[in-house]
Amino acid sequence: MSILTDISENLQRGKAKVVKELVQQAIDEGIPVKQILDEGLLDGMNVIGEKFKNNEVFVPEVLVAARAMNMGATLLKPLLAEAGVEATGKVCIGTVKGDLHDIGKNLVKMMMEGKGLEVVDLGTDVDPETYVRTAKEQNCQIICCSALLTTTMGVMGEVVKKAEEEGIRDKVRIMVGGAPVTDAFCQQIGADKYTPDAASAADAAVELCKSLA
Amino acid sequence: MTGKELIFKTLRHEATPRAPWVPFAGVHAGLLTGADATQVLTDEEELVKALLEVNRLYKPDGQPVVFDLQLEAEILGCDLVWAKDCPPSVSTHPLAETMTVPCRCKLPTAEKGRMPMVLSAMRRMKEAVGETTALYGLLCGPFTLASHLRGNDIFMDMFDDEDYVKDLLAFCTDCAKRMSDLYLEAGMDVVAVVDPLVSQISADHFEEFLSEPYTEIFRYLREEKKAFSSFFVCGNATRNIEVMCKTAPDSISVDENVDILEAKKICDQYNAAIGGNIPLTSIMLHGTQQDNMKYVVDLLEQLPEYRNFIVAPGCDMPYAVPVENAIGAAQAVLETESVRHMVENYVSQQEDVDVQLPDYQNLQKPLVEVCTLDSATCAACTYMMGAANAVKEVFGDRIDMVEYKFTEKENIARFKKMGVKSLPSIYVNGVLCFSSIIPSRDELVEEIQKVL
Repeated sequence: MSILTDISENLQRGKAKVVKELVQQAIDEGIPVKQILDEGLLDGMNVIGEKFKNNEVFVPEVLVAARAMNMGATLLKPLLAEAGVEATGKVCIGTVKGDLHDIGKNLVKMMMEGKGLEVVDLGTDVDPETYVRTAKEQNCQIICCSALLTTTMGVMGEVVKKAEEEGIRDKVRIMVGGAPVTDAFCQQIGADKYTPDAASAADAAVELCKSLA
Repeated sequence: MTGKELIFKTLRHEATPRAPWVPFAGVHAGLLTGADATQVLTDEEELVKALLEVNRLYKPDGQPVVFDLQLEAEILGCDLVWAKDCPPSVSTHPLAETMTVPCRCKLPTAEKGRMPMVLSAMRRMKEAVGETTALYGLLCGPFTLASHLRGNDIFMDMFDDEDYVKDLLAFCTDCAKRMSDLYLEAGMDVVAVVDPLVSQISADHFEEFLSEPYTEIFRYLREEKKAFSSFFVCGNATRNIEVMCKTAPDSISVDENVDILEAKKICDQYNAAIGGNIPLTSIMLHGTQQDNMKYVVDLLEQLPEYRNFIVAPGCDMPYAVPVENAIGAAQAVLETESVRHMVENYVSQQEDVDVQLPDYQNLQKPLVEVCTLDSATCAACTYMMGAANAVKEVFGDRIDMVEYKFTEKENIARFKKMGVKSLPSIYVNGVLCFSSIIPSRDELVEEIQKVL
């Protein structure tokens, strides 16, 4: 078994310490950092994402896998910068104003990072101004809004309006998700993409970033 | 047979003449009386007034008294953020930085937090409607309570420190038993353990961490308290239905993410009743009255028999669910056959029935039109009709009054032509004056005097 496969499989089992050791070993063996990232860490997270989409693994498994990925990614980060490897896109994400639920938002963030995207986490209870300001200041291609409550999902429409007012709609795509959100709602408020689960959100974000490139 | 008996028969797994109906009107109850969510969950008078209105309009066979999964968390030290249109959210987790288990001395008592208000409301509801309505006491399930206390780290703890999770869940199980004691002393008939986070873990994790706590809670309720139990879950808990059943609750309740007919087959193997699953957002909140009636009728039509089945919303109803939608759902459960015909007629109704509407601009005297599902069978319609009859007595021959029932084909065409969106409703001279919420005599008199 190659060390990269080993990294991927240990990541899927959430073995953070082992993943960290194996990533260090791979670096020491001179394997290109981009290859360690793609074929080790992101490959493992990709498998977890697919299994999550198919209801084969659940929140706890995703969280420990993501923690293992982050342990390995911390070692790779400075080396990736040195090698001039850039993220595939940049996203700012948050749970909308009035809503403190963050499990779904965190899962999406992890899945997106697992696709090689850079993610700015705005936390919970995020007002429309903060999403739009962050997207402008940090050159995010995507604003990603999460809501668990039927009473807060309306804020997503305000985010779309704010982005229009600030004149960034041609440069920034807006994604929405969360238990009460539907594709029809997404269209109704003029957002760009609804996805029903975290793994699909990450796939969609990658596609949207490509379309903007 | 009272609604309460119907629920009891269902929870004893006996066949029933119709499926019982348990609308989960938590904060939504306040909508009926003009109270917001915070008022309903903190003010005993507002709570009882709202619950009695739910009982009057929605004719529930079973009814929860409070739907707030943060009650215990608040007592145990979590800070809450309150909202006007939904239950409060937990904003701080006292065990987030410390992997400890709280002292049992901190468990809820009748005096702590909002318990005095809640227990008093329960006793008043018992007194007012407890003879005919089965009352549900809802408590926060161990896993969701553990997450309130510990935060999202509880998920990682399941890998990092299984013993800690089990110890914390044992504490939360004791909390559930304490809450059960308090609720049953206050007269609740059914204890519902509500654990939405159960849908976020695998069946293996359920068995590792939750089978024991839940088996103990339901054993305690059944053997030591001689009380009925229910296990509520939200989200896609499909894979966990069987392991939930194995903990031996009298019933489980699921939302629209679960195929309830498939889940019922599993429940039947364990002789557990199942309740659900009118979709909260797409049907109850954003759908029409017709959508709600159709969903319920279609659901009931697919049952082989009325046994081990309760019609209920998927979970706590959003605050702003239109009243007529819940009335429509209620009517579909209570008068399934007649609503089935209404739905069929509505769907098949073309413009071939020619209905002449009155010439509203040139009426001899004010015309009060009461549009109902059927005032003989629908509680809200009966009250709406009662309000109209009361003012007819006041005005006598000075006004005309008529009831149009949705049970008649011609009236379906009439309602379409008039643009009637919800039932029951009152139109005065062709103008909608009251929709779903029953006016007081004075309010209706005032409307009529405007056109006299």
